[in-house]
Amino acid sequence: MTTTFTCSIEVPAPPATVFNYFIDPELLLTWIGDHAVLDAQPGGEFTLDIEGVPVRGRYLEVVAPERVVVSWGHAGSEKLPPGSTQVQFTLTPTDTGATLVEVEHPEIDVPMFLWRLPAHFRPGGMPAVRRQRDTGHGGNRKIVFSLDFVRPDRC
Amino acid sequence: MFAALAAPQRQQILRLVRDQPLPVGVIAESCGASQQAVSHHLQVLKEAGLVDMKREGRRRLYVVNPDGFDSMQAFVADLWPARLDKLRQAVADGET
Repeated sequence: MTTTFTCSIEVPAPPATVFNYFIDPELLLTWIGDHAVLDAQPGGEFTLDIEGVPVRGRYLEVVAPERVVVSWGHAGSEKLPPGSTQVQFTLTPTDTGATLVEVEHPEIDVPMFLWRLPAHFRPGGMPAVRRQRDTGHGGNRKIVFSLDFVRPDRC
Repeated sequence: MFAALAAPQRQQILRLVRDQPLPVGVIAESCGASQQAVSHHLQVLKEAGLVDMKREGRRRLYVVNPDGFDSMQAFVADLWPARLDKLRQAVADGET
């Protein structure tokens, strides 16, 4: 089963500033992970340790200042080996000079067997198909269909 | 927790014990694995909080612990929202 986790937040700086937080290891570590080795160019290294989880991947797209796509997997994991998923970060300028940061993480590591558990064992019950409409920034309108664990209070 | 789920045989064990508590011997027989190997897998699953052990007389029975899956769901659901919150804060701090 393919699942996609989507989430967004408005960050109080223009995309040109925010973009650096995805390509500069020192800035990246201010918000995620505790060790990073980055080579922000297509095919470049994306190594990030998050609380003991060794995330290993490559930069796939580096489009300043609007988009970064990295491959994402966990070293030593059979279910989610390095390069097995992709995470996309999209930066869109807002009318107020801030940046809307969107994360899309398809095929996040939710093991197949979890969906075959009895419903009362399954966190959040049945998964929900969520239809999410971007309110539109700079004419970029899109609709994201995602099958995920819905957390409406957070995303 | 993801490491605990990585081995296919551990996923097979979880499927077996999700419906009813089972002793190691029955699990091993169903999996076609040795009791020693299954005991090891169960220990890993137990340490990850995915399986509970309970005693019934002299037998030790293993069963899925649904709370373990709740915490995994929480990990998945909280990863990006929590990190994006930190990103907003980090950028705000950097701008001042």
